[in-house]
Amino acid sequence: MRNTFLIAKREYLEQIRGRAFRLSTIGLPALFAVIIGVGYVSSLGLGAHKHLIIAANDAALANDIRDQLLSDKDGKANVDVVSPATPDARGALIRKVQTRAIDGVLWIETPAAGLPKATYSSQASGDFITNARMKKALNDGLVDEHLTGAGMKQAEANAVVKGISIDTFQVRKDGTVVKSNAEMSFWKGYVMAILLSMTTMIYGLNVARSIIQEKTSRIFEVMLATAKPSDMLAGKLIGVGAVGLTQIGIWLVAAAAILVTPFAAVLLTGDLAIHFSWTESVLFPVYFLLGYLLYSSLFAGLAATCETEQELQMYMPLAAAPTWLSFAMIILIINDSNSIWSIAASLFPPTAPIIMFLRMASQIPPLWQFAVSISLMILSIWATLWMSSRLYRVGILMYGKRATLPELLRWLRYS
Amino acid sequence: MPVVELAGVTKAYENKVAVSNLSVAIDAGQMFGLLGPNGAGKTSSIRMMMGITIPDSGRISLFDKPFERKSLERVGYLPEERGLYKKMKVLEQLVFFGQLHGLAAEEAHKRAVEWARRMEISDALAKKTEELSKGMQQKIQFIASLLHDPGLIVMDEPFSGLDPVNAALVERTLLELKSQGNAILFSTHRMDQVEKLCDSICLIDNGQAVLAGNLREIKASYERNHVIVEFEGSPAFLNSEEIAEAKNFAGHAEIKLKPHGNAQKLLHEAAAVATIYRFELVEPSLEEIFILTVGGKADA
Repeated sequence: MRNTFLIAKREYLEQIRGRAFRLSTIGLPALFAVIIGVGYVSSLGLGAHKHLIIAANDAALANDIRDQLLSDKDGKANVDVVSPATPDARGALIRKVQTRAIDGVLWIETPAAGLPKATYSSQASGDFITNARMKKALNDGLVDEHLTGAGMKQAEANAVVKGISIDTFQVRKDGTVVKSNAEMSFWKGYVMAILLSMTTMIYGLNVARSIIQEKTSRIFEVMLATAKPSDMLAGKLIGVGAVGLTQIGIWLVAAAAILVTPFAAVLLTGDLAIHFSWTESVLFPVYFLLGYLLYSSLFAGLAATCETEQELQMYMPLAAAPTWLSFAMIILIINDSNSIWSIAASLFPPTAPIIMFLRMASQIPPLWQFAVSISLMILSIWATLWMSSRLYRVGILMYGKRATLPELLRWLRYS
Repeated sequence: MPVVELAGVTKAYENKVAVSNLSVAIDAGQMFGLLGPNGAGKTSSIRMMMGITIPDSGRISLFDKPFERKSLERVGYLPEERGLYKKMKVLEQLVFFGQLHGLAAEEAHKRAVEWARRMEISDALAKKTEELSKGMQQKIQFIASLLHDPGLIVMDEPFSGLDPVNAALVERTLLELKSQGNAILFSTHRMDQVEKLCDSICLIDNGQAVLAGNLREIKASYERNHVIVEFEGSPAFLNSEEIAEAKNFAGHAEIKLKPHGNAQKLLHEAAAVATIYRFELVEPSLEEIFILTVGGKADA
């Protein structure tokens, strides 16, 4: 136990003092902020400032659609109306689209009976934002025309078309009711899941890298003359895990310090309000530790069988597959966090840490599911450690060539 | 009572027997040489002694007790494959290894400073290992294995990477440790050092002991059929019919006589053509015994 503590302390101090720790502690959140910022800024002008033509024989409908488009403040569109819409005019307008004189033409045919038929022609087939705006304007214009045609006053028709928004609230198990926002819940769960997966993988890989470096520097033989392989492995896992917890602790303190500032208070009110529960605050480090121990013990066993970091890279896709699977299920989890698939994935140890946080973002799962998920993770950590400690014990003294699969199986059988 | 004893120890890896029925015992105050060609089983034997691997059969005792990990706190080990933490400062590293061997941090610190002074590396204590030369790193590893004042010192090639001045320093230190009653085992290819330092040896080949015992007695058991001649004049006497093999190093010749070669006759022949300053009939060197015993396949 004393040796485990000494090895953990050495590992912890070496990593904490390293430049990589300082860089990643500051750099990782900064990188996140930059990615989110760039994404937000670049989305601001999407589909805006378009020059559009609406051509229809029904001038009132065309003008109605134009008004709808102009009322969309994000669109900032320049909209002209061509009415009547003759076949010659259509050819000329298409040519204007071709020469980029205009961005698009909405051509509306209004038969004597039945619904109008509309076609939108532009050079950008993937401009789904303008397409969506156009579709909404057309439908709103049609509803407005029908309502006023049926005798409703224009102001009343406008109010109906505008629609009403729904304020959403989440009723929690304890009876408290908090304002909720599906979009913000998604982003909260997404960011926490990414942080969790990144830190788990980064520190898991740190363990692997450290083992390979020690194998390369041949220090194992010196260490093995005083410490048991199990003490060495445990010390390494504890030391590196403590570094990860320290980093998460620094981020949490920094986030708390930022969240209590007046700037954050203004930014995170109304629709942008984010609610963190105590459950989330406690379970984040718990799932980090469990996820870290699962992946790092797996990586430790694999690293002991490798000679170089390049060899270790070969195993990475295999190890990262559960993370990819977790993120592939993100829409399913957010939309229905209590479906059988969501529950199964949150109990399956390799995906449990990420999926559980995605589920918690929309609804806190029942206590028994946490209990089962954590128990299964502890069980799988034990099994992985059992396997890895065997590979580690033999692998760290094997130099020169990469172990083959039959050799690995033989190492597992050594007592 | 021996400080370390291997009794009938065998270790096999898959299809290869690394060590077969090996018995070795080293007493306190004894310097013991474990010799053998590459792949003979020296490192495997040492690893079993250090509890790094477990023998398939046989018995290992440390300090007169069956092997237990606790006893390793009284063993100093310098493996052939050197290893230090490159990013760690030397003093921190020495304290860390001292603590692993059961010392308190303060005591380890005090001893590290004292040993650094003794081994003339005090200036390096505040530096990172990666900033030091190979020879300096070798001395740090040497200190790390001795910091806890072990009763048994196991050294695999302790002189490799050292210049003659530092090799002499290590040699003096080992002799001091021996005189203090420590048992020292070292494995090396440097036969001159074994001859100079060791009381007893065990030569192993293919995992088996092929020659073992007191070094003086082993050498004495060989016929004195080697002659060292220092001379000035013609080397023509080196073609004598009494000689099986001769090496001439400009006035210093090392000669092996034929099985029934006559040394007196050779002395007359030499004196007839050259002035003789030294003519000494000696036992074969350990290197020759080594080559003779392992059939000339060793690379020592």
